[in-house]
Amino acid sequence: MGSEYTVLIIGYIFGFYMAWNIGANDVANSMASAVGARAITIRQAIFIAGILNIIGAVFIGSHVTQTIRKGIVSTDILTDPHMALIGALSALLAAALWVSFATWKSLPVSTTHSIVGAMIGFGIMAGGFSVINWGKLGAVVLSWVISPVFAMVLGFLMFKTIVKFILSKEDPFSQALKLAPYFISIALFVVILSFLFKTPLGKSLAIGTPLALLVALALAVALGFLAVKILRKFIKKTNLTGEEEVFRKIQIGTSCYVALAQGANDVANAIGPLAVIYFLVKTGSVGAKVPVPVFLLFFGGIGIACGIGMAGHRVMDTIGRKITTLTNTRGFSVDFAAATTVMVASKMGLPVSTTHAAVGGVMGVGLARGIDAVNFRIIFEIILYWILTVPAAAITSIVIFKILQLFI
Amino acid sequence: MRIPFITMFVSSPFDGLQEHAEKVKECAWVFQRAIECIIEDRCEDFEHFRKDIDKLESEADAIKRRIRGHLPKGTLLAVDKFELFRYLGEQDKVLDVVEEGLDWLSFRAAAGIPEVLEKDFMLLVAAVMDPIEELSKMVAEARKYFSNFSEEQRVRVKDKIRDLRHYEHEADKLEDAVKEKIFNAIEDPVAVFHLIRLTEIIGSIADHAENAGDMMRAMVAK
Repeated sequence: MGSEYTVLIIGYIFGFYMAWNIGANDVANSMASAVGARAITIRQAIFIAGILNIIGAVFIGSHVTQTIRKGIVSTDILTDPHMALIGALSALLAAALWVSFATWKSLPVSTTHSIVGAMIGFGIMAGGFSVINWGKLGAVVLSWVISPVFAMVLGFLMFKTIVKFILSKEDPFSQALKLAPYFISIALFVVILSFLFKTPLGKSLAIGTPLALLVALALAVALGFLAVKILRKFIKKTNLTGEEEVFRKIQIGTSCYVALAQGANDVANAIGPLAVIYFLVKTGSVGAKVPVPVFLLFFGGIGIACGIGMAGHRVMDTIGRKITTLTNTRGFSVDFAAATTVMVASKMGLPVSTTHAAVGGVMGVGLARGIDAVNFRIIFEIILYWILTVPAAAITSIVIFKILQLFI
Repeated sequence: MRIPFITMFVSSPFDGLQEHAEKVKECAWVFQRAIECIIEDRCEDFEHFRKDIDKLESEADAIKRRIRGHLPKGTLLAVDKFELFRYLGEQDKVLDVVEEGLDWLSFRAAAGIPEVLEKDFMLLVAAVMDPIEELSKMVAEARKYFSNFSEEQRVRVKDKIRDLRHYEHEADKLEDAVKEKIFNAIEDPVAVFHLIRLTEIIGSIADHAENAGDMMRAMVAK
């Protein structure tokens, strides 16, 4: 079937385009606090984001990919492979177009929500409203609300902790060095846990949850203390704001953490539908579960990295100039909150938006009075586009589906 | 490029507050030089000083407007927005009063300040300079407090506010002494009126600086 290979090639192109969009858009949110707080340079940010997005996509990404694909839309519609093929393709293109439009118009939309909306559109076309698993959709929508709130709470608590135990102390610098291992360990704990639970490597070890928790804890603490040993070597007390210097170094680590979480979370948005297409073309049918080949995840990661590489510079430059009120302790709190939220959500298979997690983190720090001035009105904008994105992507998906049906 | 992250960050009003405080200080310096000029009798650039003050005042006004205009609805600040505005208003009044003082002086510039009172006026002006200089130091300390929230730093801000109050009190005492001297030393009622009013205006410079301090006290209250 030659035409199906054509579809596959088109699928690759659209998938790459979507991944590119994700990279171009979301890199701003993941690297913004690090660049804004001057923890890393623009060049470093692009490099870190590119590499770690790929790693996150390949090693932690698979779980979410499946959830988006099969959770919200019933697999009944996939029984007709031809229909499924067109559907996946139109969903991919619709989401990519909507995100491009949003980029052009500077709207705060989420790539995650776009793909969910596009999938719903395809589902409605293929099987009517009954194929939509409304309960599951409700849970997903709820997770969109919960994730920024969760990030906000984390950001708030983290900054309050830093204020209480470091900033307000007589010697914040040595206090920062003293407590740094704990902060690093907590972040590492979440990362190691995700690796243990979700990567093929972690699964092959086949350790139970309590043991995994224990292993992660031990490893995180050990690495945390090791990291601080290294940290001490590199930091010289230069001026009064030595504590910011400590967090500047830690922020290099946390921005890696964010990029990793982002790769893990967002690659699914581009690769989910592509995996369906790939599977259909290769096997002729598609079951309830589609294994996502590692090379597809890698492909998605590369797409994201390309987006970062090409558009990242301009975005970072804007960020560096516009965000002047963010210091390293604040940036760390934002990074930590955003990445932890995304990691936890990704672990639970919930498609959350990295953008919203980052925004939630900033709000938390703002509520803790950490930032001189934070504009909270963005909440309303985000809510508006939450409500708009899903139907807009769904309708676009429906239109493209109709058009594609004529040709394929 | 869509960057919701950036739209969240509003430029800090504290930068403007500091800038404004510096303008107030500059203005006060010009005022002091203008008074000295009047006292020296051969004052040719008095108008020049007035122009300087005018210029500084409009620059400070621009800063004030920038702060007020660039805090969109829904902005969360480290301090209450209206407390901040009231503080700014009070700091701005210091400037207005300085300008008013110079204007008032210019209405009777030819007569100037009688020789017997020259020293007293110099002292009075010097006394009101102290709180103004303290003002910008206080803003700097307060900024530090809003970044580290340490109790120690809060005490430092409070110390500055206390100093401000102390300076105002000193200026007040001096103001009263000058007034008493005016009534005793000057016969011409027009001159008395002019000088008394001038003394009051100069004295109120310190009053407004103290008020600004009190507002700052409210902002750093826990």
